[in-house]
Amino acid sequence: MNKSLFERGSVNNIRIHVLPTKRFKTFAISVYAGIPLQEETVATTGLIPFVLRRGTASYPETTKFREQLEHLYGAGFGFDIYKRGDYQIVQLRMDTINDSFVNSEESLLEQSFSFLGEVLTQPVTENGSFRASYVAAEKETVRKKLESIINDKIRYAAERCLEEMFRNDPYRLHPLGSRAELSGITPEGLYEAYTNWLQEVNLDLYVVGDTSLDEVIRLVEKSFKIERPQAKQYTGTNVNFNTGDVRTVEESLNVNQGKLNLGLRTSITYGSDEYASALVYNGILGSYPHSKLFINVREKESLAYYASSRYDGHKGMATIQSGIEIANYEKALEIIKNQLEAMRQGEISDLELSQTKAMIRNHVVEMQDSAFEMIAYDFNRVISGKERSADELLEQVEQITSKEVTEAAQTFHLDTVYFLKGEKGE
Amino acid sequence: MEKFQYEKLQETLYHEVMDNGLQVYVLPKPGFQKTYATFTTKYGSIDNHFRVEGEEEISVPDGIAHFLEHKMFEEPEGDIFATFASQGASANAFTSFDQTAYLFSSTENISANLETLINFVQNPYFTDQNVDKEKGIIGQEIGMYADNPDWRVYFGLIEALYKVHPVHIDIAGTVESIGTITKETLYTCYNAFYHPSNMLLFVVGGVEPEEVFNLVRANQARKDYKPQGKIERLFDAEPAGVNERRRTSRLPVSLPKCLFGFKETKLGITGVERIKLDLTTKLALDLLFGSSTDLYQKLYDQDLISDGFGHEYNSDPNYAFSAIGGDTRDPEELLRVITEEVNALIQTGFKRENFERARKKKIGGYLRMMNSPENIAHEFTRYNFRGGDLFEVLPIYESITLEDVNQRLKEHINWEQMAVSLVVSPE
Repeated sequence: MNKSLFERGSVNNIRIHVLPTKRFKTFAISVYAGIPLQEETVATTGLIPFVLRRGTASYPETTKFREQLEHLYGAGFGFDIYKRGDYQIVQLRMDTINDSFVNSEESLLEQSFSFLGEVLTQPVTENGSFRASYVAAEKETVRKKLESIINDKIRYAAERCLEEMFRNDPYRLHPLGSRAELSGITPEGLYEAYTNWLQEVNLDLYVVGDTSLDEVIRLVEKSFKIERPQAKQYTGTNVNFNTGDVRTVEESLNVNQGKLNLGLRTSITYGSDEYASALVYNGILGSYPHSKLFINVREKESLAYYASSRYDGHKGMATIQSGIEIANYEKALEIIKNQLEAMRQGEISDLELSQTKAMIRNHVVEMQDSAFEMIAYDFNRVISGKERSADELLEQVEQITSKEVTEAAQTFHLDTVYFLKGEKGE
Repeated sequence: MEKFQYEKLQETLYHEVMDNGLQVYVLPKPGFQKTYATFTTKYGSIDNHFRVEGEEEISVPDGIAHFLEHKMFEEPEGDIFATFASQGASANAFTSFDQTAYLFSSTENISANLETLINFVQNPYFTDQNVDKEKGIIGQEIGMYADNPDWRVYFGLIEALYKVHPVHIDIAGTVESIGTITKETLYTCYNAFYHPSNMLLFVVGGVEPEEVFNLVRANQARKDYKPQGKIERLFDAEPAGVNERRRTSRLPVSLPKCLFGFKETKLGITGVERIKLDLTTKLALDLLFGSSTDLYQKLYDQDLISDGFGHEYNSDPNYAFSAIGGDTRDPEELLRVITEEVNALIQTGFKRENFERARKKKIGGYLRMMNSPENIAHEFTRYNFRGGDLFEVLPIYESITLEDVNQRLKEHINWEQMAVSLVVSPE
């Protein structure tokens, strides 16, 4: 395992990161576009990629646009919109077969760049704006997505817990915004927002595959028709780790199983020197089948099928989630709180420590087998401003003592308890 | 040790059958950090009625294959997850209609992890107490799926299509059915289906094939397996037609979920022919319902479908069905437009250029799948259990003609064989 092998360059204030390798059968391409998460812009920014995927100057009709992807041997094309710290990230992805496996006349990498460049910088327009029918249809699609969150109760409970926990912070916002904001968007307003966004947004373009930095720079210059005179930088996230009393929120829906979600705050972030301690803390608490939550909630008490924790170093927080019998709420909550307290008291065995380190090591090392995971890890560096190669992280994790884990545990404070229960009472 | 070279794919596969009948395959992936291994028995939720040669015929409770999978992780010395964790491996398992797979992925201690995987699966340890404890956990797993509308609409379709065949029984069973499971029934199923001759070990990643075979040979030589007779899986006759035309479940949803499918009539085919039939059917479905088709765009423009409208084809020599659908504001109108447009396509057949493009897309998807050790291991095993070879898929794709796909379209899309499953909000 060696330090990051990405080669770096820049075109038009788009940062370029290329990792030349012959290990994969494809070229993995990823564009990260990030701007501060704000109530005023979250819905419009979230809608932009939905409209961009409907058509470009060369492929204005959606069926033709999708047929072109099929011509490229079914190139994978997709996008995600999510929060990372205080930023709203739009990520565009392509995954294209390396030409050596198929009999293609033109370079598939070159054609993929032409396609992706057009998607981002030359959408189909009418009268100097987005095509109105596409905007109307995609508003409808996003509205349905927002409304469908309630269908998956695990996800719904997780979103609701965050909303409650960050009710005074932009982080409460859903990355697609709200239905109310969405409804007011016009094609003209959206097009204007899009042109501003292209100027203001942080742009990072990654490629992993059998290519070179020079080739990628040439392809970006050729395919991304955009002038960006100003350099952009991510400037960090506001972490509020002061918690008052624990807030409990209960909600009733027509469900069989109750969903118990807890939100915790911590001062340790991705940029902190203690980051590795927080990772180990989270591992011992609830990331694995040997973790305290799994053992105590599931294996010892048979209360749940899943009981786990997740740490988010970009926002300085952690969540705990479990699906339980509604009548077992008090009991499950007490057991979970006991685990948090045990960690604060330093009740951490050598075995828990060594097992957790081994699992983290495995995860970090195996990232190298996935092009998109290597890209995602490197992007942490860009968004946080903290240089920490996978090698360095491994070394730091290896050094962590149970005392340091205990100290990390003392920075995690329970903030919100959210419980989704049935309508019929217990 | 046999060696198979697939030049077009730039892959080399190694194979050996152990003396006790265990099939072992190794696919080295030079440059990969991790090793991924699956140890799979050809035993899933549909195998609820069987006879091992020389023994009595037996019927077992619904959900027992999945229950057994959960219980395998417990050993006399404790939970096997802890052993894997100490060796830096991430372990898991899953049960499907026709197989149960145990797996790990790790970047270190590969030999120790392989030994652990093989040993824990070959060492059942069930007690009255640990069987009882699991009922609470699986009860919550069942409750979780009961709240999941996607799962409900999918299983609703299978229940509507199949009357007798156990594919219509939920893989986890019900709280009542698992309530009847005892350690004795678990041992009975274990002894029938976990004999090495019914299992396949697949190892992919940064490994030396000879080392893996040496390890497995020595490991199996230490164990005293008696040859086992043939397993006869007993299935009562399934009527040709569908069980019900329509099935509706009620669960709070933002929009109705509508999934429809066709019950396959062309069954009993195995090996290359089966694979070709599968791939041809999937191509036909993609040409009908894929996101680049005119039909898809028309439905999207009429606000009858949204992202998430999709299709799949699930097949086995004994049962096969398609499943098509997603969220819709109006299930009746959706089905009406689809019926009309699909009937028109059955008359005209697909256009050649669309066929060629769809096939290109499938070939690309297949090659992309080859980047993932997990997918290779799962798909290879699935193909193998059906008498096919994952690495021979490219020539099969090349052999499929437009006429084959048009023929398949007419065969599979038989409205008499169709059922609809809906999930709608309670009134």
